[in-house]
Amino acid sequence: MAGIVEIKRLVKRYKGNVLALKGIDLEIYRDEFFVLMGPSGCGKSTLLKTIAGILDYDDGELYINGKDMKNVPAYKRDISLMLENYALFPHMNVFDNVAFGLRMLDKDEEEIKKDVMETLALLELKGLEKRFPNEISGGQRQRVALARALVIRPSVLLLDEPLSHIDYRLQRRFASLLKDIHRQISGTAFILTTHDQHHGLSLADRMAIMNSGLIEQVGHPEEIYNEPHTLFSARFVGEVNTFMGEIQEVGADSVWVKTDIGYLKSRKPNAADNLVGRRVGYIIRPEKIKISKTGENAENSVKCIFEYLNYFGHYVEAIFRAPHNVRIKSTIPTYNLPNFKVEDEYWLSWSANDARTIIKPSVVEGVDIEDLIYGR
Amino acid sequence: MFIEKYGKYLLLLPGLIIIVFFLILPLILIVIVSFMQIFTFREPTLTLQNYIDFVASPQTPTILLNTFGMSIGTALLTLLAGYPAAYVLAFKIESIKIRNYIISLLLVPFFIDWNARTIAWIPILGESGAVNYMLQALNIVREPVQLLFSRWTLLIIWLQTNILFAIFPIYLALIRIDPDLINAARVLKAPPHRVFYNIIFKLSLPGVVVGFTFVFVNTLGDYITPALWAGGIQVLGLSISSFAANFVWPYAATQSTILILIALAVLFVLFKIVDIKKLVE
Amino acid sequence: MGVWNFVGKVYIAFIIALIYLPVAFMIILSFKSGASISFPIERFTLDWYIKPPTGEYAAYLSLFYDRQVFQALQNSVVVSSLVAMISMFLVTTLALTLRRRIAGRDQLFYLFLLGFLTPGVAVGLGLNFLFNLLNLEFSIWSAAFINVIYAVPFGLILMMARFNPDLLLYEQAGSSLRASPLRVFRRITLPLIIYEVISAAILGFLLSWGEVIRTQFALKGIGTLSTFIEVQLGVNPLTPKWYAAGTLLSVASFVGLAIFAYLLSKTTR
Ligand SMILES: Nc1ncnc2c1ncn2[C@@H]1O[C@H](COP(=O)(O)OP(=O)(O)OP(=O)(O)O)[C@@H](O)[C@H]1O
Ligand SMILES: [Mg+2]
Repeated sequence: MAGIVEIKRLVKRYKGNVLALKGIDLEIYRDEFFVLMGPSGCGKSTLLKTIAGILDYDDGELYINGKDMKNVPAYKRDISLMLENYALFPHMNVFDNVAFGLRMLDKDEEEIKKDVMETLALLELKGLEKRFPNEISGGQRQRVALARALVIRPSVLLLDEPLSHIDYRLQRRFASLLKDIHRQISGTAFILTTHDQHHGLSLADRMAIMNSGLIEQVGHPEEIYNEPHTLFSARFVGEVNTFMGEIQEVGADSVWVKTDIGYLKSRKPNAADNLVGRRVGYIIRPEKIKISKTGENAENSVKCIFEYLNYFGHYVEAIFRAPHNVRIKSTIPTYNLPNFKVEDEYWLSWSANDARTIIKPSVVEGVDIEDLIYGR
Repeated sequence: MFIEKYGKYLLLLPGLIIIVFFLILPLILIVIVSFMQIFTFREPTLTLQNYIDFVASPQTPTILLNTFGMSIGTALLTLLAGYPAAYVLAFKIESIKIRNYIISLLLVPFFIDWNARTIAWIPILGESGAVNYMLQALNIVREPVQLLFSRWTLLIIWLQTNILFAIFPIYLALIRIDPDLINAARVLKAPPHRVFYNIIFKLSLPGVVVGFTFVFVNTLGDYITPALWAGGIQVLGLSISSFAANFVWPYAATQSTILILIALAVLFVLFKIVDIKKLVE
Repeated sequence: MGVWNFVGKVYIAFIIALIYLPVAFMIILSFKSGASISFPIERFTLDWYIKPPTGEYAAYLSLFYDRQVFQALQNSVVVSSLVAMISMFLVTTLALTLRRRIAGRDQLFYLFLLGFLTPGVAVGLGLNFLFNLLNLEFSIWSAAFINVIYAVPFGLILMMARFNPDLLLYEQAGSSLRASPLRVFRRITLPLIIYEVISAAILGFLLSWGEVIRTQFALKGIGTLSTFIEVQLGVNPLTPKWYAAGTLLSVASFVGLAIFAYLLSKTTR
């Protein structure tokens, strides 16, 4: 199946020589909910605006529905865009805002009215038609913006940070609304940007992790979570314990890494060249760590001191101090919570199969492992 | 593609054509004509004679001093008079409504016709004007006093017609100052005069410079007020206009070139020191 | 503290009085009877506005019966209307282009600022040279354009300082919703800046309405009302008639200004 959006080696340079996109390769399929995730300033909005045609690209190729988009202006592309600050036209009421795109397509007013009312109903906006953007709440404004982008039924719907600028409860509601709508209408690919990993992971059919104008990794959320290609991806998606180390020994399908808290065993990374002596990041997800008083006979065990708990409702994050003052966190379901005592000793253990040894800090060149781990 | 690449410049075209035709070309011609012996565009003889004449003329120092002295002097005096007014407006009048009323009041006369504003000075300061009438009625003087037709008249009229240009930009700069900056300085135990100088005054500089520019440029080009109400005090603008009226065009062009060059030099130095774009951004 | 506040307010009052003093005198004098403009004033009349003609000397004609005044007024209205429309168009196109960070933006901005920074005498003289070189005749149009050059920088600064910072976003939203550039301008940009556009027109009107020097250089014949009065002042004795003319001119600018202020206040967000 060919992608509805195909991006090849896309480069975008802003005035003043800011290289915002450094060569993006991406393919997005029809009916897909695709999430672009990355830290602030990594180029998410730039990529969306380039796809939308609001920005020109300097190099590379962009195809929508198989058509080359070079020199095709925004208004001739089969997309629509919900901007970060919604950009609702302040001089038009809700109805006219939503009807705008249909009017530009020269539909007749009867049909426009039907489509607009249908979309307003879908987004629980009935009764607000006559209000102006400054007369409705932030959450309503956001839904009007979605309605306006959605009503023209584009092949690609671009959503730039639709979940920012509103309170947490509304974010949750809007996220599930988006998911519902995506399931209800067919033939439209959603591309959404966010810097929030919770929303990103829960919404995405597939996602891309972006970093300084490059893509770190593309895949299903759990694929990226379980098999991160770079330390950056690993640390950006979900919580993780990371230890700096050096590969000491390579077995058939496992490696031993020398770290500050001892020799740790993990699955062997997929790299052919000689691994011994490489500086690597050793990672273990907090929920894979078992805690015991005696130290089981596990593949990896570290003796730690219990420090404190972070309470999150249905689960708890327990913070331990390992040798050399290295912190390790472990998550435990609340119903299963043992009675930890501050400054008591515990053994933390995990299996080698759950741990990963990651060689590449990032696809961005010149990023040092140490900086990435201790830098923030 | 040409259109894609330069399309955004296309809209500038009408403006550029007009400014080139009505400003840039005339300015270039002024410079060219200023080197002519006789005004003719057919095989003109170019010479430095006009400039030599200008430098050699015994009147030149007086004219230059009058022109730039009066303009810079008026500008400084106007700023000095306008700054406190802007300060009071920005910091001492709390009600925004009253402030806006005062500003509108100040704005109105600026748009009133120029002649209307200046001819009114005769019945005020003239020999049979209101001031002399009062002085005589109160037996302070016996004979009418000559109040019009001097440098001081010019200064007063210019101050009066231009003070708004000083107040307004300074006021705009002052209200942009974050009050927390001033509070922070106070908390750090800065004495009032240092708070004023180091924070308020320095941050209001773009406004001061814009105000200076307005008044300086306005007075520099104004030859009518000096001619009518200052007893024909010799300024460059007046000299240019009388040479031009008598069709001594090359020499008028030479004087114009010098006027423009000095004016732009003064403004260039000012704009280098203070970034006036801060005021609109 | 209290004392200084009081002094400050008195100072503001003083400045206002200083500015209004000549205006007040101009209005009072325009109602004075007799040809002299000296004090004290014995009697107030409307003679200088509407008295039917008796003498043949222009200065002693009342405003209403002075055909030259009407001609000059007509010129004023035509020139100022042209300036209003042309500078409205230019300011809008320039401001819309220069708000983007295009290459050469600062240089272009200063280039247009030059129209205000160059003394009017010099521009006027140079335009005479140009018209002489090209064998062109001065007309209403030359008078309009020399004023346009002067009015555009004011309008440009006004418009750029007041642009809605989100304007570009609205336009982007529009073009992603299938609106062609022309439709984006008509449906989104123009409605959102319409008051600024009209303000620029009125500003151009008012600035050229009171301008003497530039107009004098670029318009031969009777001139606009402002230049006409200026010439009359040099030739004829000063009578209350000219104060009446000034009063009328001022009333006209005042009406314009009131509209201007109203429009500006409408857009204050
Ligand atoms: N108009 C512009 N001119 C110059 N540089 C820009 C411009 N817009 C963005 N940039 C730069 O390009 C880079 C990418 O910006 P972009 O807005 O795409 O980031 P983002 O991932 O959307 O960030 P955020 O999550 O904060 O919205 C940043 O370094 C930014 O500073
Ligand atoms: Mg963004």
